[in-house]
Amino acid sequence: MRHQEEHSPRVLKHPLISRLFHWGLILGFLPAAITGFFIWLKPFGEDLQNVIMQIHIVGACILTLSCICYTIFALDRIVIFIRRILTWDSQDIAWMKIGGGYPQKMLLGKTIPVPPTGKMNPGQKQMGIMMLFGGIFLIVTGWALYAFLPVAPKLVMYWFDMIHLAVGLILGVSVFGHIFMAIYNWGEFLCMFGDGTQLLSEAKHHNPVWVENEIILVKTDESVPVTGQHHVA
Amino acid sequence: MAQYDYVEKAVQVSRREFIGIVGVAGAILWTGAYLATDLIQDRTKYIKMRAQGIYKDDVKSKIRQSHNNQAVTDVYKKFARNPLSPLAEELFHTKYVDRTKLV
Repeated sequence: MRHQEEHSPRVLKHPLISRLFHWGLILGFLPAAITGFFIWLKPFGEDLQNVIMQIHIVGACILTLSCICYTIFALDRIVIFIRRILTWDSQDIAWMKIGGGYPQKMLLGKTIPVPPTGKMNPGQKQMGIMMLFGGIFLIVTGWALYAFLPVAPKLVMYWFDMIHLAVGLILGVSVFGHIFMAIYNWGEFLCMFGDGTQLLSEAKHHNPVWVENEIILVKTDESVPVTGQHHVA
Repeated sequence: MAQYDYVEKAVQVSRREFIGIVGVAGAILWTGAYLATDLIQDRTKYIKMRAQGIYKDDVKSKIRQSHNNQAVTDVYKKFARNPLSPLAEELFHTKYVDRTKLV
């Protein structure tokens, strides 16, 4: 860390429970998504395809458990997440129209003015909507296919399989876009995989509305252990 | 130990939001559980009906064992020689299928 950054104010952006859930998604969704492509395309021999299917199921278990635990132990984070992804205004539409200024920055090297956003920018909100509803579809259809394929009506299972494939493809491809954007936005990457904090100046740049309205100063003279989001002094 | 100066305001979950989330989760779980038990009950019902039908046929039949079945003994006598003959194995015996494989 550079010397001036050491004394710059920082904000806790991702509490521990959210970072743990994110790890759950990495260890659950990512293996399930990658193996899902192989299960769909069947490029390998029978034995390896079976191992891949077993990895897919283990990934699905981790993903499902992570979602259940996060819903139970961090219901407030789920509520704020749903509030954020379902709240859209004219600023968000304007942000979407210019792609958040990212295509201009990446392709033309130009920085253009971007409408201010909250903690989630509209691109992240769109991804959030897709992950929330798509994730529920994937989990429900996946477990139904796993447990009830021999006993359920064939037509129902056929459509469950189709939905599982289509939603899995869309989310699987989107997640690689998400990873690309996370690495591009390196500060955010370090924040999520580090201690969850970010320089206030950086948060102000990316999330000015959030910094303006949704954060408060912690009244403490020492470091505060990160054990959750309830560190309001 | 992370050091930070600012933190997000605590989220106040309203009763409406709590009921909404619990309702959606409950609806998904209840529908899933209902469909699963319904399917299993249906399957059990059909298995029982099938077993009853087979027992009923058995009660009605004069010959109740395959080795006493005239048609079967005729097949072996005229065609497949004896049980477990190579031709009988080829024609009548099923092959093992490993159903533990998932793909």
